[in-house]
Amino acid sequence: MPHTFISLAKACGLAALAASLLVLGLPDARAEENVWPILKEQAFGDRPIQEEDGMVVLETPSKVEDAAIVPLTVRVPPSVKGELKSLTLFIDKNPDPKVATLTFGPAAGTSGERSFSTRVRVDNFSHVRAILETADGSLHMTTKFLAAAGGCAAMQAKDPDADSADMGKVIVRTFPPALDSNPIWAAQVMIKHPNHNGMQLDINTAKFIPARFVKEMTVKRDGELVFQLDGTFSISTNPNFRFTFSRGEENDLDVVIVDTDGTVFEGQTHPKGS
Amino acid sequence: MCTPKLISRQTFLKASLALAATPLLRYVPAHAAAADVSEVAPGVFVHQGRYEVQSPENRGDMANASFVVGSEGVAVIDTSGSAVMGRELRDAIRAVTNKPIKYVINTHMHPDHVFGNAAFVQDNPTFVGHYKLARALGTRSQGYITANKQMLGEATFKGSEIILPTLSIKEPTTLDLGDRTLLLEPQPTAHTDNDLIVTDSKTNTLFLGDLLFSVHVPTIDGSIKGWLALLDEMGKRKAARVVPGHGPQTMELPEALEPEQRYLATIAADVRRQIAEGKTLAEATKTAGFSEKDAWKLFDQYHVRNVTAAFAELEWE
Repeated sequence: MPHTFISLAKACGLAALAASLLVLGLPDARAEENVWPILKEQAFGDRPIQEEDGMVVLETPSKVEDAAIVPLTVRVPPSVKGELKSLTLFIDKNPDPKVATLTFGPAAGTSGERSFSTRVRVDNFSHVRAILETADGSLHMTTKFLAAAGGCAAMQAKDPDADSADMGKVIVRTFPPALDSNPIWAAQVMIKHPNHNGMQLDINTAKFIPARFVKEMTVKRDGELVFQLDGTFSISTNPNFRFTFSRGEENDLDVVIVDTDGTVFEGQTHPKGS
Repeated sequence: MCTPKLISRQTFLKASLALAATPLLRYVPAHAAAADVSEVAPGVFVHQGRYEVQSPENRGDMANASFVVGSEGVAVIDTSGSAVMGRELRDAIRAVTNKPIKYVINTHMHPDHVFGNAAFVQDNPTFVGHYKLARALGTRSQGYITANKQMLGEATFKGSEIILPTLSIKEPTTLDLGDRTLLLEPQPTAHTDNDLIVTDSKTNTLFLGDLLFSVHVPTIDGSIKGWLALLDEMGKRKAARVVPGHGPQTMELPEALEPEQRYLATIAADVRRQIAEGKTLAEATKTAGFSEKDAWKLFDQYHVRNVTAAFAELEWE
């Protein structure tokens, strides 16, 4: 007899639900409920947050085509001057709502348009939030709503065998500004990594593929910290980051990535040649 | 090209009478309609799906579904997108033959080709697919079930389930239907990582599954590079006719492949240029491949997703 898949599918749904309940500590976590007050409390306590005050801009696609790979861009407009302390991204309804926190260092820059982009999984219709912490410790939030669903359990790797053959490959690129006088450079870091969230079934073992994802990434320019990122499995397979940094002497980038298995991956780029 | 011949009402009635006269078969139609199929070559029947996305109205009837009748039994090639459509396909088979349904072959993992499998469990056939099909369905089953239940509606989706292959094809394999054989050839990653090409030996009919789209915009769920490379190989094949996964019932090589080759090559060229210019994924999805917009149906539904997939693949070159 052919074996059916219904019971496993049910188990998968329950596990995803259980995971979300664990993180949220709520009796129910359906789309209609506003979970933000709890998330805010956990992340920022009772600190006040300014909303939609123009200090931070979040760009999301007008229509989500593939919930497993949704591009998000955060911009801090040039009108905002001075150092930035941190940036946190949330997707309220994801099993782990926190996408990433970036803690900025001296090489992140103090002027110009600073930005950060990545690609995320979206498991349900959800609010997406970017919370910027400026040097004075004040918090500024902007929120968008995303109509996308199913990105977490979906296996985004279209060719898992080809991907696993390249596992750990890191590419780092820098993009000099069009004008030499611009103090801000752009860069991209990409890593071949499944970023398994523990919600995908392995049919051969009938077990969930264990969670394994990029937990930490440190980016330095000429030895100075641009940012340190703490990530979760809300970031898509083959994590991809675009960001800005302040112009230095050499503009050499060094990137160190650590995943939840403790494996370390490194990448660098030397625009002037080695 | 062979002109598709619709099953005449007379043939249908004769078949029905023959069935009624065979009490052992205990054939009881569960509903009024059998799927609309055409005999495109002797013993080769194709049902043409609609150029639509899943809805309660179309009941998941989007992909072409075929069957081949041999002297010893029947092989089904793709089963449409719901149990109810699978049952109508089964009724169409039973309207032309009472031979046992020996094989149910899925050309790849997509819901509009596999959710009708459930209707054939009662025949206890061998379910056949590419050796990577089981893994692909396993990792996606929850998403497929949730999404299709939502799009088709609970009532229409009822009874649909993921049935995994019981025979996995890793090397070219021949299935025997008595007076004819089917050749099954697993392909490298192209439309998906589990595409299978089926050839009916007797009529030299190729069932290409979703390696060939016509009218309906192609969808990339494997590798754009792999697909373009495979299309070059497919163009060298000789066949009396090919059956696309979406499109008319039959087409001819190599012309049938040309629009799809042009579509994929345009995306690849546009995306590669934008990557070289340092553009982002979000930027590419607004422009790449839009010169193809008027050449396809369902462009708005699938094109941006295709560019996203192409970008995420080609940026590693």
